[in-house]
Amino acid sequence: MSRTIQKFIALVLCLAPFAGVGATHSQLALAEENAATAAGEAASCDPVAPARPRDSRQMTARIDQLLAADWAAAAIKPPAAADDATFLRRVSLDLVGVVPTVGEVRAFLADRDPQKRARLIDRLLASHLHPDHLATTWRNMMVPRGAGVDEFDAQAGLQNWLQAQFAKNQRYDQLVADLMVASGGSQEGPGLFYTAFDLKPEELAANTSRIFLGVQMECAQCHDHPFDRWTQGDFWSYAAFFARIGRGGDMQMGRGARLVDKETGEVMLPGTGTVVGPRYPRGDTPSRDDTGTRREQLGIWMVSRDNPFVAPAAVNRAWAHLFGRGLVEPVDDLSERNPPSHPEVFRELSAYFIETSFDLRNLVRTLANTQAYQAASVTGEDDPPADAFAWMLVKTLTPEQFYDSLMRSSLSATGISNAPTRQNLGSFDVARQTFVAKMQSPSASRLDYDAGVAQVLLLLNGPEVTSATSRPTSGLLAALDAPVLSDRERVEILFLATLAREPREQELLQSLARLTRAAADNIERSTALGDILWALYNSAEFSLNH
Amino acid sequence: MQRDIAEVFNAQPHRRQFLQAAGMAALGYSASGWVPQLAHALTADPKRRRHCIVLWMSGGPSQLDTFDLKPGHANGGEFKEIDTSVSGLRFSEHMPRLAAQASQLAILRGLSTKEGDHGRGTYLMRTGHVPGGPVRYPAIGAAVAKELGSDDADLPQYISVAPYQQFNQAAFGAGFLGPRYAPAVVDEQRRANPGEAEAYADLRFGNLVPAGGTNGQVADRVALWREFEGGFLTAHRAAVAQAHETIYQRTLRMMNSSAAGAFDLASEPTKVRDRYGPGVFGQGCLLARRLIEQGVSTVEVNLGDFIGPTSNWDTHQNNFTTVKDLSARLDAGWSALLEDLAERGLLESTTILWMGEFGRTPTINAMGGRDHFPNAWSCVLAGGGIRGGQVYGRTSDDGMTVEDGKVAVGDVLTTLCVALGIDPKQQNISEMGRPIAIAEGEPIQGVLA
Repeated sequence: MSRTIQKFIALVLCLAPFAGVGATHSQLALAEENAATAAGEAASCDPVAPARPRDSRQMTARIDQLLAADWAAAAIKPPAAADDATFLRRVSLDLVGVVPTVGEVRAFLADRDPQKRARLIDRLLASHLHPDHLATTWRNMMVPRGAGVDEFDAQAGLQNWLQAQFAKNQRYDQLVADLMVASGGSQEGPGLFYTAFDLKPEELAANTSRIFLGVQMECAQCHDHPFDRWTQGDFWSYAAFFARIGRGGDMQMGRGARLVDKETGEVMLPGTGTVVGPRYPRGDTPSRDDTGTRREQLGIWMVSRDNPFVAPAAVNRAWAHLFGRGLVEPVDDLSERNPPSHPEVFRELSAYFIETSFDLRNLVRTLANTQAYQAASVTGEDDPPADAFAWMLVKTLTPEQFYDSLMRSSLSATGISNAPTRQNLGSFDVARQTFVAKMQSPSASRLDYDAGVAQVLLLLNGPEVTSATSRPTSGLLAALDAPVLSDRERVEILFLATLAREPREQELLQSLARLTRAAADNIERSTALGDILWALYNSAEFSLNH
Repeated sequence: MQRDIAEVFNAQPHRRQFLQAAGMAALGYSASGWVPQLAHALTADPKRRRHCIVLWMSGGPSQLDTFDLKPGHANGGEFKEIDTSVSGLRFSEHMPRLAAQASQLAILRGLSTKEGDHGRGTYLMRTGHVPGGPVRYPAIGAAVAKELGSDDADLPQYISVAPYQQFNQAAFGAGFLGPRYAPAVVDEQRRANPGEAEAYADLRFGNLVPAGGTNGQVADRVALWREFEGGFLTAHRAAVAQAHETIYQRTLRMMNSSAAGAFDLASEPTKVRDRYGPGVFGQGCLLARRLIEQGVSTVEVNLGDFIGPTSNWDTHQNNFTTVKDLSARLDAGWSALLEDLAERGLLESTTILWMGEFGRTPTINAMGGRDHFPNAWSCVLAGGGIRGGQVYGRTSDDGMTVEDGKVAVGDVLTTLCVALGIDPKQQNISEMGRPIAIAEGEPIQGVLA
């Protein structure tokens, strides 16, 4: 491809409205129809359900109403709304994992429709990038970080499986149940979840309970839980559901191992030799009539209507995904000694999630439309406490969000989320994974920025940012060579591409001064533009979702 | 009495009083009683900065052919023992320069663990905990760097030279302490031509130098960065934004500092570089000395990797040829490090721990090798806070069992902490909210100065 054509394509990508993320009208309509049907089904089979809002819009209003009441009671001033540009960047990062394109920003800012935020949310939820971002989020939560290069295939297997579930908006409870009974090789899907924990019943128990039940039982592994009700017996009887998983088929170096459910296998209370049979957390034992493997029994229990854990745990995670912290925090520690900040919101949302047939996409839509989610992150002198949700908490970008945003905004040749038509997720992008591995944070909370010197040096001088800010490799810098553009417009595009906003006066002046000085020193304009871009990529504003 | 100790340290913390305090501890004051005050007193004095060096022996070094020989027994193998500068203390003949430095070394011959797998043993020895379970424990280097390091320092406070991490990557990070305490890794830039293997190892600190930019360009970039950063910070007082600013300022300061010159080994005279030995370990020890001189709190140097033709301690075959080669590298690098630190008055404030993931079988297999053996093996402590010139613990004549002075990994790491003036019971909060001590074990009083 000639450089001119490349330049032209880059320019089009950069300026066209809605380049990158797009859903057809029919897809959207279908999704809405599905949601409505599901809600109707749920309503009809629950005769004792009180008159609760069933519609996403009503539920959104209900959350705002409950929060407003709490703010009033605590004498907290209602939050100011985030401006359009801030909201667009925020919701794009949260729902599709990447900053909006310049074209998207311009179109959104120019849009005069009062419903444009709700429309944007629907569009992002219908984008193929949404299930991918959700899958990344869930994969990172499910599988311990720091996996080696040799696990790329297995990671991709889990990613693809999750992506497929989220893409068809699989009922959340069914997704969990499917995961509970997953077989197949570690490279073929959710098998990685099991192999990552070496098929150990105690590891699987600790992690499935933490992830899907929102219950931290692992302290009870060795002794009765010091604070909570869980006993060592509770822990090991839950672990017993995973006692009969084995590896089958041909196994080379642990790869491609198939999961099988064996006829035998038990767990014992440590140090006692006492065999512990399966028992559901704080519940019954499987009855003699129950058929299927132990994992199937557990899967059925997970999706049973009266399961008290699964829906609230998911609601709390969805809330934390958007707001930076859960209604219950830590997000995986739902217990009586750790109550939610807004009990009514938590209860009604959990009920709503069940009534809407565990429709995760609808839940996210409902939350993203709230005033609380759309509040400004800029705070005044007297900050209300973080758990009041009276202003938007500032979150760090995940390494994946950073990398994808870097690639998309610089219109770099590589980078998976830069390719809006990417359909084939069969292989992982090694360059992306290498960056992610170096930037990984151990904190589960995105309210921590805990990068060290090595990470910051990577962002200052490392190959990814260097490539994104150098003329030969940055499509954006190439596009900015277009003679029709003024320097002012060039600087504006840099800001729109990275921060999704226009530069402030001082920023503009500083940037133009850099260009002027470069011209005087006979330095190429693209070098000076690269310097501006470098400073933007290393700014707190780019690294954070606010 | 405890308060008296603290007062002594607050007044004039120098070595003699340190010895006195340690002596009092040996006379029966429990670690939990006096250590926190001691640690507090030491860290309260800005002049008494302590340093830690971990010499990590990847693959599992043979104790029987280094520090616990069995002359006259069939398990002893072909190496001879030589006298050291300490009467009655004898090492392998292939470590003559270390033998001359023996008065600085405390040899622990009674180490006994239960992990005979490379990955598991690596995790156990480096974190003090068995692998598995929900907690991601930090490497001991990260944990001590957190205690010893200063946020005001120009250089990262934990620097690891050419770590071989493939056995267990999780054992080489900061775990739940976070990237802030993760080691900054100095890698060897491997040469394409294997014939150059014995040239000076080319050790480089990743991304320290801007890619291709001139000084003027860097200054321009940073000026723009400050403008953009400042605008956002004024409007957002969130802790995450402040944390971003803090670590960026620190990193930029480091890039700009003269301390970063410590990485430039070429500025050392050839004679000095040769004295340390040309390989990764020797030049790594030289780098460790230069970094300690610049105030870096914790440095780790690796010996034994599995890349290319270089040798490693996993001597299932040809044990004696390989250990002889590795001993020469160990001898040159470590002894030069001890000499130079002592000459600069830094050895007193620098504690060194030498260890691998396990020892090797006393019996010699059919391939002239030794296999994995965690039951009875050795590690070495040296320098500040350590009473050198001694052996602690004894193995049986055949080397199969510990007969006296049996210690666990937790005891070794606890002892290292105490020697460094850190309270080993100091707790960090894990990612799950659980308080976790730096090290769990008993200080080995006989080894502490």
